[in-house]
Amino acid sequence: MRRAHRSFHRVLWPVLALAVALGFTMALVLRPPPDTAAATAQELKP
Amino acid sequence: MSTGFRAVQWNRAKLVYDGILIAAVVLYIATYLLLAYWLDPPKDEPAAIDLRIRAFGTCAFLMLTIILSIGPLARLDRRFLPLLYNRRHFGVLTFFVALLHAWFMVEWFAVQNALPDLYAEFTRIADYGKFIGFPFKVLGLLALAILFLMAATSHDFWLAFLTPPLWKALHMALYVAYGLVVMHVALGIMQSDRNPLIPAMLASGFACVTVLHLAAGWRERAGDRCDKLTGDGWLLVGPPLSIPDKGARIVAAPDGERIAVFRDGTQIGALSNLCAHQNGPIGEGRIVDGCVICPWHGYYYRLTDGCAPPPYTEKLVTYRVRVARGVVEVDPRPLPPGTPAAIRYV
Repeated sequence: MRRAHRSFHRVLWPVLALAVALGFTMALVLRPPPDTAAATAQELKP
Repeated sequence: MSTGFRAVQWNRAKLVYDGILIAAVVLYIATYLLLAYWLDPPKDEPAAIDLRIRAFGTCAFLMLTIILSIGPLARLDRRFLPLLYNRRHFGVLTFFVALLHAWFMVEWFAVQNALPDLYAEFTRIADYGKFIGFPFKVLGLLALAILFLMAATSHDFWLAFLTPPLWKALHMALYVAYGLVVMHVALGIMQSDRNPLIPAMLASGFACVTVLHLAAGWRERAGDRCDKLTGDGWLLVGPPLSIPDKGARIVAAPDGERIAVFRDGTQIGALSNLCAHQNGPIGEGRIVDGCVICPWHGYYYRLTDGCAPPPYTEKLVTYRVRVARGVVEVDPRPLPPGTPAAIRYV
């Protein structure tokens, strides 16, 4: 890899990793409770 | 177009690689479906299709996780280099597995005459403003589009046409695809299905890719620091015997580009650390019969002048070398590709 390529790689993936980690954590925390989830399961499937 | 088309160059190693890959995918899908049918047989056709959606979806996610782990793994441990050899075919197969996942999803709506519902999911603009309730299928579709772009440009024709730096930059979109897939699952099935295996699979896959990249990146950082310079601007490498025989020491030029300084017995030569094929790390390769072999895909270059032996035409940038006061030095100013520059020392 060229230096510019390495630098781009080092900037791109930590930003993406942080964004995805944040998004995943929020999606996990904000999940509807099990009973609501079951009710909306049909709507969200597959 | 200035680049001629060449058919895929098949060899035994590629056939074995692809054979193992396809066998592993078939085995995973078959095991998943057999276990699912055995534990909880589907009650109707949509439920059976749902199982196929999950089997192919999890398979595509695992394949993407492995693909993104191969690069750092190969940097951390040479034993993983064989996985890197035909990674492009791995990517193309992942696209087809993901495409089948999407196809079964469409089929799930079709068998229930509910295709308008699918259309509505994509076109309810208000949902795009929500976090929980976001049209997660759009994320999956975007990831599939990126995978298609990767697969369509995976052939060596596109690599030569776009040039390795641009081609590699384009293929970094795979990171974006992976992020989209994680969120596609997190905002989709993870919201409606409380099975703890779903967040566990997402978190462990994502953590695995992140930790491996952190470890490999940390190790690579040291290689970017410019080595010591002499008064006239040459790079100090070290005594000849500090360079492994039939191997190289990699040094960094003041502009950050890396130079591979090889020793083949009493011959010393310096080449660009970038393979002309995919910009692979030439300096991590070995010398056989006077030729440096790229560790990624086995491209050959003569140490004497950086040229691939006939009938191949690839050429590498070379650098002048000298041995002064028992220390190998390299001029960091590159010579035109294919310029003879290796020396013999006594």
